[in-house]
Amino acid sequence: MQRRPLVARHPSILIFLALLALFTLGVTLLSEAYGTGYLSTSFVKTLGKTLCLCLVAVAMDLVWGYAGILSLGHFAFFGLGGYMIGMWLMYERTRDIVAGSMAEAAIPPTEQEIVDAIGTQIFGVVGASEFPAIWAFADSLLLQLVLVVAVPGLLALVFGWLAFRSRVTGVYLSILTQAMTLALALYLFQNDSGLRGNNGLSGLQNIPGLTDVPQSHVSMWFLWASAAALALGYVLSAWIVSGKFGSVLRGIRDNEARVRFLGYPVEQYKLMIFTVTAMIAGIAGALYYPQAGIINPAEIAPIASIYLAVWVAIGGRGRLYGAVIGAAFVSLVSSWFTGGQAPDVNLGFYTISWVDWWLILLGLSFVAVTIFAPRGIGGLVDLIADARRPDRHGADLGPDQGALREKEADR
Amino acid sequence: MLRVLFASLAFLCLALTAPARAQDEGSIQPILQEQSELIQESSRRTIQPAIDAIAASGLSQAQTVLETWQAKDMWLRLTDGQYFRAERINRETYRLFDLDTGEDLGEFPADDLDQIKPNSGIRGLIAVALVQFQLSDPDPENRRAALQSLERDPNEDALAPLRNSIEGETDPDLLAKKQRLERLLTMAYDRDPEARIAAIEEMSEDTGVDVRATLNPILSTRLRVFNGAPPDSLNIARTLTPGSDALPRAEAYEMLVSAGDAPSRLGPDAIKDTLAQNITDGEVAGIQVHNLNTQETRRTAYDRLVADGIAPPVPTEAEVDATLAQYIFAEVYDEPNAAVTTAAQAALDSIATRVAVGQAVDLTLDALSLASIYFLAAIGLAITFGVMGVINMAHGEFIMMGAYTGYVVQQFVPGPTASILVAIPLAFAVTFGAGVAMERLVIRFLYNRPLETLLATFGISIALQQLAKNIFGTQARPLTSPDWLDGAWVLNDVVSISYIRIAIFALALIFLALFLYIMNRTRLGLETRAVTQNRRMAASMGINPDRVNMLTFGLGSGIAGIAGVAIGLWAKVTSELGQDYIVQSFMTVVVGGVGNIWGTLLGATMIGFLQKGIEWFNPSNTLAAQTYMIIFIIIFIQFRPRGIIALRGRAAGD
Amino acid sequence: MSTLLEVSGVSVTFDGFRAINNLSFNIGPAELRAIIGPNGAGKTTFMDIVTGKTKPDEGRVLWGEKNVSLLKMSEAQIAQAGIGRKFQRPTVFEDQSVEDNLLMALARPRGPLSVLFWRASQKALSRVRELAEEIGLADQLSRKSGELSHGQKQWLEIGMLLAQEPKLLLVDEPAAGMTPEEREHTTSLLVEAAKTRAVVVVEHDMEFVRRLNCKVTVLHEGSVLAEGKLDHVTANQKVIDVYLGR
Repeated sequence: MQRRPLVARHPSILIFLALLALFTLGVTLLSEAYGTGYLSTSFVKTLGKTLCLCLVAVAMDLVWGYAGILSLGHFAFFGLGGYMIGMWLMYERTRDIVAGSMAEAAIPPTEQEIVDAIGTQIFGVVGASEFPAIWAFADSLLLQLVLVVAVPGLLALVFGWLAFRSRVTGVYLSILTQAMTLALALYLFQNDSGLRGNNGLSGLQNIPGLTDVPQSHVSMWFLWASAAALALGYVLSAWIVSGKFGSVLRGIRDNEARVRFLGYPVEQYKLMIFTVTAMIAGIAGALYYPQAGIINPAEIAPIASIYLAVWVAIGGRGRLYGAVIGAAFVSLVSSWFTGGQAPDVNLGFYTISWVDWWLILLGLSFVAVTIFAPRGIGGLVDLIADARRPDRHGADLGPDQGALREKEADR
Repeated sequence: MLRVLFASLAFLCLALTAPARAQDEGSIQPILQEQSELIQESSRRTIQPAIDAIAASGLSQAQTVLETWQAKDMWLRLTDGQYFRAERINRETYRLFDLDTGEDLGEFPADDLDQIKPNSGIRGLIAVALVQFQLSDPDPENRRAALQSLERDPNEDALAPLRNSIEGETDPDLLAKKQRLERLLTMAYDRDPEARIAAIEEMSEDTGVDVRATLNPILSTRLRVFNGAPPDSLNIARTLTPGSDALPRAEAYEMLVSAGDAPSRLGPDAIKDTLAQNITDGEVAGIQVHNLNTQETRRTAYDRLVADGIAPPVPTEAEVDATLAQYIFAEVYDEPNAAVTTAAQAALDSIATRVAVGQAVDLTLDALSLASIYFLAAIGLAITFGVMGVINMAHGEFIMMGAYTGYVVQQFVPGPTASILVAIPLAFAVTFGAGVAMERLVIRFLYNRPLETLLATFGISIALQQLAKNIFGTQARPLTSPDWLDGAWVLNDVVSISYIRIAIFALALIFLALFLYIMNRTRLGLETRAVTQNRRMAASMGINPDRVNMLTFGLGSGIAGIAGVAIGLWAKVTSELGQDYIVQSFMTVVVGGVGNIWGTLLGATMIGFLQKGIEWFNPSNTLAAQTYMIIFIIIFIQFRPRGIIALRGRAAGD
Repeated sequence: MSTLLEVSGVSVTFDGFRAINNLSFNIGPAELRAIIGPNGAGKTTFMDIVTGKTKPDEGRVLWGEKNVSLLKMSEAQIAQAGIGRKFQRPTVFEDQSVEDNLLMALARPRGPLSVLFWRASQKALSRVRELAEEIGLADQLSRKSGELSHGQKQWLEIGMLLAQEPKLLLVDEPAAGMTPEEREHTTSLLVEAAKTRAVVVVEHDMEFVRRLNCKVTVLHEGSVLAEGKLDHVTANQKVIDVYLGR
């Protein structure tokens, strides 16, 4: 068998990239900034944010669908990425405002006076005015961009190293990652965490230096950036899982011990995929929060990471496009229902208001998907394009708990 | 009889302060006449003898007269110079009453009357004089009230009356209180330093808050500056070096500046203001304004202004140091007697040690009750995880369901005791049913797929939580506890524990015993253990693993329901109640190890103590406490990846 | 004869139960050895210890010419050092094709970074084809291994072991659940493999062991009861007692 180019071996990549390009083009042509104006700026932002969610879902799929690590912490990495870019956005934006107001003064301000004024402006809400040490690089876009990947990456590296080397697996690991997420969220909720406690960072939609550009344009630029990041992330992920590395990952998912006896240092593989996906999540977050405009610790709460797992599960794990479909579908439907756009259902004796009942619907449909359609929405693709497989009556694929079951792997 | 007793008491207590007047059933009017001049002069400086004369009269009406005076209801009849109590009828007419008998003397024109208007200073003196009467009042409630007001607001003058009232005190409780208060007042106000020191030493083992509240003012200090050595007459607590933590250099210098002993050191802002005032043609002293954006150029410009004589000179750092070196900064005790402050400091230290021990005991009790709550919350989770390898993310919602069951029961069953007794079994039944239903409808299909189970149960969790919100709303619902659970078991001012916490502790013990009984003495327990250890083998021995799973899941959920009622009594019932405990419950199971009740117990104990311990180090910040606790657990897992009590060998399934 | 693996004085206890009791065992560089013993004799635990899955309470396990201690190494390091293991139940990666399974087992760098950039060379692919022919799965290369029959999976696993190019092969009950022809094939595979490396076979089936025609070690209650040719061992009274007396 000859090795052919990546896209040739996996036509789904090309299809995906084509659809993504088509989508981006479509949105551009319908946008207020560059097209007919059919789509409102806020909806363009929603779409841009959805692309970022798709990217973090791809990362989640790598770590869960391929490597079998059900991480309940990837949204925390996402949030950390957002915080890192948010620091720069907030700092520079405040600097613009402060410098503007100080220019009126009789004596021009010193550097230190400007920094102090920015500090007072930013940390006034938590009763402080000093810049904490973690803001040391907030004035440098380049360094904060490095931190966008470095901070989640480092946290994932340290946590993963601790967790994997003690052979914590399965639900134990999930719970531990959840605990990590909770610890991080609780830490950020403190006023003296240095990141404005539960106020979070706000005003992130105002991009320093682009104050004259209308939001309709900025939102389009972010949508393009998000689409590009998703495309890159998707191709990178596809490349990672396509070769022997992917083979080993799936081996770890299905039978960790066996991979170990083949001589592969399983812990290193897990650590690597955990860290790399954390970095991807950080990038996705860094693109997401300028579009959302605000980030606060509630975004990082464990439940967000669980939702991430839900998206991937509904979309179909173990296939990258499944993660994208799941994230896009569930988050858009979710905002449709919770945004009050879904019509209420009048039962005569009771009116079902979807704002109240959507979560119940989501929870139950999630249970249903887990039980009846473990392959998720992506499984529909198999139904359409399925090659005929012999009917196999095996037991579970691997002896370990948590391995894929026959039905899921049968594709 | 009482009257006689009271009279003799009054006699006794006043014997020391003023010459006694042996006027048994006499009129008070002569005394008032005797002091009439002072009373009418109504000056704070001279009034004391008059008040004393009335108070020391030994007459039963003395108290009423003083109160009347204090209330500005005492009037002088100009026609005969006699004093009366008057009630206003209208502007012109007042009704007079005899001060001795209270007899109504009829109406009199206002022109004939003159009101005695004691100023606030005099009223205060009268109040002090009244204390002795109140402290010896025949009604114990009045005595108690007087004592309480004195406890709240102790003063020097109350010491003598208090001492006098002790001897005749018949109520043992009040007597103890009086004696205690007497000690405290002695510590603070006695004229004799020896007596104060004796009292301080006597109370130095008492951890009461009042003792500390009395000792602290004795040790109050003021920071003072001395040019040269401080006089020996002052009771110096300690001398401070400028630049130390207790006295920053800037602060020390500022003291000198405000005392007028040193020239002001202009801050950057003041310099900036001065510069701004001296801008001419876009320049300050020849420096362009736009260049004034560093501290250095500003300083240069300012120095030029000084040289031109426009701005006042600013002392250099060296000058500041030299000035500071000339002075001595010391904290001076307000209390002049060194022996007293030394004794007070020693007593405070000794009390601090005792308080620390007491706090440690209190913390232990707190931690124990927290551990009981975690144990109750986690035990069901541990059962389901141990037997089936299933993590039930909806476990917290079962706890919530139990709590709401308690709330609903309370709406229908009157009386908190009865409703709790109904709620506990009902909560068990409801959550048992919910658990069995969930096992049958969902978990059964997902055996051996623990990660999917985790997510599916999470789906149920969000649905249940939202359902609770839709039914009960988002506001907290109270669960009233029975009277016998109200209050706390108070050992002393430092150590106390509420009865609810004791009850939860007892409940945890009951469940431990119950669980051990079920697991070790019943058929279900035997089957459960068999299924836990080897499902396939158990199945081939005729045990129906499905049934065992169903029952253990129900049991675990049922216990969560009961835990919910207990937690609901202790905290408010909201739809997020379960969320608050679920992560700690998970941690308990992870730390404790799977499949062993003792592990869960140890895990809960460890987490409870850990959390309280961290909170003790950093009491203001419970968020940080939880953060550190989780980090600790992650590190703990490094050393015991499978928990405190772990299965080893083949049974561990690794 | 030089020794490849030396196990001496090893004991391990699980919750008070002594699974291995002062066990000593040696094997040379190119030797075929069968280990037999009743259930609970400690056969699997012995393998667990050698492969690093279980750490013994005492004793030492030395490997190779340099006499490296295996006790401080992780499973992956031991496997890289040249010890391959085949499990009782066939454990191949059912989700992946036969080719991927074999490629994964090929002796190549195991570190995550080098694997990430590793692409199958012609040489690797031809080696895989060679192995597939050896184990009789040449036609099945692109099939998912989950679709193979039980016996085919066993062979695939043996093929994966061979692909690892280990110096020592630990094989746990290779013949379980095989048809007679499949057993025949398995026997010849193992005998062939033992020509160039050490092979330890744990087996219940005396007939299979007889066909291997090699030295036999009998384990009982965690220690060696007897060692030697099969006929010699089966004549041993103690062995007869252990096998028949229960």
